[in-house]
Amino acid sequence: MKKLALFAIIVLIFGTVSPSLVNHAYGQNDPSILLRIAVQADKQIINQFNKIYENEIPNNINILYDKGHRAVKSLDQSLSNNDIEKAKQDFLLAMNSFMQISRIISQSSEKSVEVNVSVKSNQTLESKIDRLEKFVQTLESISTKHKIDQNKDKFTKAYSLIKEIRNQINSNQNPSENTNELNNLINSIKKEIRNSIAEKQSNAIKNFFEKFLVQIDQKLMEAKDLGRDQIKIDKSNELILEIRELLSKNQINDAKKVYSELQVVLKDIGISVKIT
Amino acid sequence: MISLIEPIQLQDSLGDDGILFVRNNSIFDTMVKIPLLVASMIIVAALLPIQSSFSSPRDLDLIIYPDGSTHVSTKIDVDPFLTNYELNLFGSSIDNLVVVGNDEFLLESDIVENTIIIQTFGSSMINIDYDIHDLVSKQGRFWTFSLDSPSDFTLLLPKNSAIIGMTNLPINMEIVNDQNQLTFSSGQTEIDYFFSTNTISNPIPDTENKIDYFLFAIISGIVVITAISIGIIIHKKQKNVKTVEPIQIIQKNQVANIETIFKLKPDLREDDKELVKFIFNNNGEALESELRKKFLQPRTTMWRAVKRLEREGIITIEKKDLQNLVKLRKNMEENE
Repeated sequence: MKKLALFAIIVLIFGTVSPSLVNHAYGQNDPSILLRIAVQADKQIINQFNKIYENEIPNNINILYDKGHRAVKSLDQSLSNNDIEKAKQDFLLAMNSFMQISRIISQSSEKSVEVNVSVKSNQTLESKIDRLEKFVQTLESISTKHKIDQNKDKFTKAYSLIKEIRNQINSNQNPSENTNELNNLINSIKKEIRNSIAEKQSNAIKNFFEKFLVQIDQKLMEAKDLGRDQIKIDKSNELILEIRELLSKNQINDAKKVYSELQVVLKDIGISVKIT
Repeated sequence: MISLIEPIQLQDSLGDDGILFVRNNSIFDTMVKIPLLVASMIIVAALLPIQSSFSSPRDLDLIIYPDGSTHVSTKIDVDPFLTNYELNLFGSSIDNLVVVGNDEFLLESDIVENTIIIQTFGSSMINIDYDIHDLVSKQGRFWTFSLDSPSDFTLLLPKNSAIIGMTNLPINMEIVNDQNQLTFSSGQTEIDYFFSTNTISNPIPDTENKIDYFLFAIISGIVVITAISIGIIIHKKQKNVKTVEPIQIIQKNQVANIETIFKLKPDLREDDKELVKFIFNNNGEALESELRKKFLQPRTTMWRAVKRLEREGIITIEKKDLQNLVKLRKNMEENE
């Protein structure tokens, strides 16, 4: 047993020390990432120069690029020297210079850039479908958790519609009809989830109120002993009774409203609604 | 918990006239079984690095779509004793909002300008998902993402996007489905990017793979060590149990009669008698949590009651699935 206890203590020490090892390793990962991002940005800026200016790069942009490019080289050097603080400064200097260049370019070329309306609207539609798909996935996760079988077919239909809409976007067809159908389907799924979990949710809220009201009862008694405003204390007790009655009748929303009133009165008395 | 410790600490001052009969020098053996201690230490050791590496009080993940809209997903710890939780959103143009509490309950919420008021009602953790159109602006062909984040966050950039400017130092970068995912610390962050057909790919740095393996090796090592240790403990226990087993079988169905218990313990409190009756009617055993639910008692009150009955020699307390299993003693009369 002694050996086992000793072994356990070694594991305990190892377990305590290992997080710092992990964090240390994670921190060391930063520098190479900085260089990668900076080098990529540098190359992209050059690509932009080639497209926009050919060989006639404006002087102010050229100065900024030189500054940024030198910072990238310095970043590489700082990393080789293991000078992390200098590397961070170099990274920020390089990225800041490239950012300024991109903003100057965007301002000067704004008028000359031709915006392809079809591409732009497709991009917006695709993003909208991406967002709706993410929303459907979130609802599906909730629905699965609560075992709401009624929604299963609706989710299948929703994913099928998403696929169809994407095909329509790619073939430049109008997907508005399917998009409307998808929106209606999502609303129906949401409604089904709310209805299905309403009872469980009500019980959870009832339990919460029950615990909460017991605490408020006690605090009101303390307030009474301290000689606080009796009329407001009586009013609070009335509201508590009303909440309990509404909860017993399963009128959760009404109970919530009365609770809001109670909160105001409790605040007037000087009672914190947070249980300690 | 304090009430448990106090009498033991006071034991010296009570001397021979003290109420308690527990000796300091035997308290360790009496209250804590060594294998249990060893197992606990191993579990704590195993959990420490895992908790430290992965747990986070607040998660914030953002996904930028090609049209500049952004999906925000955040996980927040909230006070379970509050009815409402108020949170500042990153803008006012919100779509597809879902707020989920404990047990995946949909929570009701109201948005007033940039603020959301969520009716949490007992939830200790909430997940908020929404789409927002205020975080990314566009000038010419360049897009700018701007956020003043209250916590560390991850940002997934759109496919084919190339970063050309940044005001904050990234903590980490990964490639997720051919998209750059960056992790930033809290504070103001601005990123300029544009869409390019010639996007230069950013393979995950080799060092990161090594670190993942290292982390994996640490966790695996701890799991293996824990498994071996538990195996040793179980093996040792089995050796001891073999001789005890026949006695346990004989003692089954020998739960003391309830009337006998009350006869032997005439001074039992009424509420304790109710507890004993409930345990007796529940085949002689019940979880402490069941007792709390049945008698609507706070944890500490029920714990004291159970300990009282244990001191009276009426029940025994065993551990079952990390819970206290309260059993009526089978040989109470013999003890008496």
